[in-house]
Amino acid sequence: MIFTHFLTASNESNAFLVACETTRKALLVDAGAFEPAIAEFVDEHGLTLETVFITHGHYDHTDGLDGLVARYRPRIVARQTPCAGHTADVVGHGDTVSVGNLKGTVLATPGHTPDMVCLHFDGMVFTGDALFAGSVGGTSGATAEQQQLDAIRKHIFTLPLETEIHTGHGPSSTVSIEKQFNPFFVE
Amino acid sequence: MTAFTQLITDDRDALVEALREGQGKGSVLRDVDLSGCDLQGVDLSEARLSRANLRGANLEGANLRGAFLDSANLRNTNLSAACMEFAVLGAADLSDADCSKADLRRSNMVGIDAQRAVFRDAQLYYSRPGNGDFREADFTGADIQRAIFRRANLAGANLSNTTGTANLDRANLEGVTR
Repeated sequence: MIFTHFLTASNESNAFLVACETTRKALLVDAGAFEPAIAEFVDEHGLTLETVFITHGHYDHTDGLDGLVARYRPRIVARQTPCAGHTADVVGHGDTVSVGNLKGTVLATPGHTPDMVCLHFDGMVFTGDALFAGSVGGTSGATAEQQQLDAIRKHIFTLPLETEIHTGHGPSSTVSIEKQFNPFFVE
Repeated sequence: MTAFTQLITDDRDALVEALREGQGKGSVLRDVDLSGCDLQGVDLSEARLSRANLRGANLEGANLRGAFLDSANLRNTNLSAACMEFAVLGAADLSDADCSKADLRRSNMVGIDAQRAVFRDAQLYYSRPGNGDFREADFTGADIQRAIFRRANLAGANLSNTTGTANLDRANLEGVTR
């Protein structure tokens, strides 16, 4: 697997690129901004950016779509369509998203937004604004907050402990760290 | 990184030499024992060093940007002026470590043991030290803007001359010097 991280200027959101070493096909997780570093990485490594996966529809995760679509014409995968004005392939919990020989699984974790979805590949999961290092996404009320906590416990905390967690903002983490120490889950 | 690289770790001296020659970036070195080694200035950015034993090592000025050091042993380790932006230090043992002037922006310090660690003049902007143990740690002059110390234990810590506003929700601030 080829993997890298980009810090975008859009509310300091993260974007991540996952690519198949064999096919050189790449998938970008979230698109807060179309940073020059993204194009440089794609060009430098001879990749084809064929898919952009959107964890949820907030501007700081989608504002880069216009530039990415203009340059690469990627397939956009999201929980809802249209996504920031672009037609998206709609996915739900348990669906598979492939990039070359790599297969990811969609995990629904509504709460921060109703359309919030995570993407799990072997060894790493992209959690958008559902789960952060030592924190969780903001919600509109107690019901949504509980829904989010329940979904994280059910779908993220049941992954292998060494699974890397790559979040929508701030640093990455692991399932082990968050299960043991995230203040929103442990007293 | 392009792809993760598994370095051969049977020969410790050869490994240290390889790291000094610049082969550490994006390397996979989980559980490696480099305790006491001189790794000043090495590039271990985006390396996977989970559970590594780096106790007492010299990592002054090292590049650990985006490295995974979760559950690593960093007791008494020299991390002064090291770049640890986006590093994952969760559940690591940094007790008595020297992180003075280190770049810890956006780092994951969730659940770390950093008792008596030195963070003088360090950058902790937007870091995540929630549930960490920072008893008697020294943050003199550090930038703690937007750091989230939720439920952290800061008893006896020195926060004098820090800059910025941190989230100290439910943190233990008993005996803190400001």
